[in-house]
Amino acid sequence: MHRNRGRSAIVGIGEVPTGRFPERTAIEGALQAARLAIADAGVRREEIDYVMPTGTLFSFQFGNELATARLVEELGLPGVGSNCQVFSGGSSSTNALRIAAALIETGRARCILFVHTDKLGTGVSAQGGIDLFSTAGISAEWEVPFGQHYSTVAALATTRFKHETGCTDEELSAVCVSNRKWAELNPHAFFRTPLTIAEVMNSKMLSTPLRAKQSNMLFDGSGAFLVTSAERARDLVARPVYVLGEGGAVTHFVYSQEPDLTRFGWAAAGRQAFAEAGIGPADVDVAEIYDSYPIYQLIAFEELGLCGRGEAGGLFLRGDTWPGGRFPCTTDGGMLSKGHIGAGGSVSLMIEAARQLMGKAGARQVPGARFAVETATGGTYFDAQVTVLGTEVP
Amino acid sequence: MITPPKPRPEASAWSRPFWNAAREHQLLLQRCDDCRQWIFYPRIACPHCGSDALGWQQASGRGTIYSYTVVMNNAPSAFAADVPYVVAVIRLEEGVQMLSNIVDCDPATLGCDQPVEVVFRRLDDEYTLPCFRPLAAIGAPR
Repeated sequence: MHRNRGRSAIVGIGEVPTGRFPERTAIEGALQAARLAIADAGVRREEIDYVMPTGTLFSFQFGNELATARLVEELGLPGVGSNCQVFSGGSSSTNALRIAAALIETGRARCILFVHTDKLGTGVSAQGGIDLFSTAGISAEWEVPFGQHYSTVAALATTRFKHETGCTDEELSAVCVSNRKWAELNPHAFFRTPLTIAEVMNSKMLSTPLRAKQSNMLFDGSGAFLVTSAERARDLVARPVYVLGEGGAVTHFVYSQEPDLTRFGWAAAGRQAFAEAGIGPADVDVAEIYDSYPIYQLIAFEELGLCGRGEAGGLFLRGDTWPGGRFPCTTDGGMLSKGHIGAGGSVSLMIEAARQLMGKAGARQVPGARFAVETATGGTYFDAQVTVLGTEVP
Repeated sequence: MITPPKPRPEASAWSRPFWNAAREHQLLLQRCDDCRQWIFYPRIACPHCGSDALGWQQASGRGTIYSYTVVMNNAPSAFAADVPYVVAVIRLEEGVQMLSNIVDCDPATLGCDQPVEVVFRRLDDEYTLPCFRPLAAIGAPR
């Protein structure tokens, strides 16, 4: 058995609704989420000895305040030995959990509070958001001068994937519909009205073949989770969410240097995570797959081995990934329907994976969920990060 | 809204020869003197074997479209006046990939794996971008 399997656990989660909240400051969202996570775990504030904020994009000033321990002081945490930011863009949640688990497993920390907050919905203008995301994580020398931005990044993968697998626009649009089905059940999601494939396919063309309703939108949001040892977790809560396995692969910085835009590093990362966890893709009850654009949700779903290559689109189209389906996927609505909150895109998915395993997902609860897989990727999909969580240790 | 100027490449000391050659309408690539691998984008040392014995050679300028997209809406401010424009990943004959624009084309006729050749588009006095245009294919006249 892998030496780290199940030695640490998520014991508390906290989240505020994703959306446009001009009156809710970024620090307010962060503090609310943190306090909810602390209350959810039932830990005493004195017990938290490590605070791990992740990056905030809307304000350099505010981001630096989190990096220099504002949360520790605002929350009044007297026992904190380290406040240290962990940031890798969209994959921050998975990288943070990996580092948190390692600190717990080695005894370097006992109780770690991870917090994300951002204000991309009301803290920047719409064009400001496009311009921010035409440069953030994109090579200034080799790609920005050619007009590369996140729509083209997603479109380039989509074009090649369609060419190689025969994936259709209907299947890509079905990913958006599937995520919306879940968002309809999530009070924290921004888009909650029903969506049809026709609406997606008739929406404005951004960068061929990518349409507006196949693109995420930026919002305000905040989330937090607490990580501690498996032993302490069993004292604190009825259903600890054990960190069973993790895997990762960094495959490029400059997007054009990715060797395979239809696969990325998911297969290797998934194999590593499942091997460490001691389960296989067939054992997964709920898959929280990173979905900033539909293409990435399809690719990761297939490369993790949840289905064969070229088969995921059909599963989304037939409703297998919808509420009540065989393969519940991205059950909080994802970035496509809940909303994209910067580095928090995958924080939402990590929290949702834990929420499902804790049995706290309300109307969208997957009955009897024991094992969850969560994926995350940063920048222009420079990495593939996979976490396997479970309510028991295989 | 005021259109900001086009973003310029931020050249490094070791990529300067690439941009100087592009200004003269030449596509130069690094090549490792030790392992003989072609290298793009320019590096301080060979990413394949770690050698710092790197030289420059003229590339064929020919390749194929690995993938492409036609930007129609929501472009970055500096490119808003250019829509529709084509962004593509080009696989050069030398085996390296680069991002570029496909120009002098009807975007509706483009496809994956289509052959292309380099052309140069001046940005300003210092920088010229290597772009690509379709090679006329047998049976598919332009």
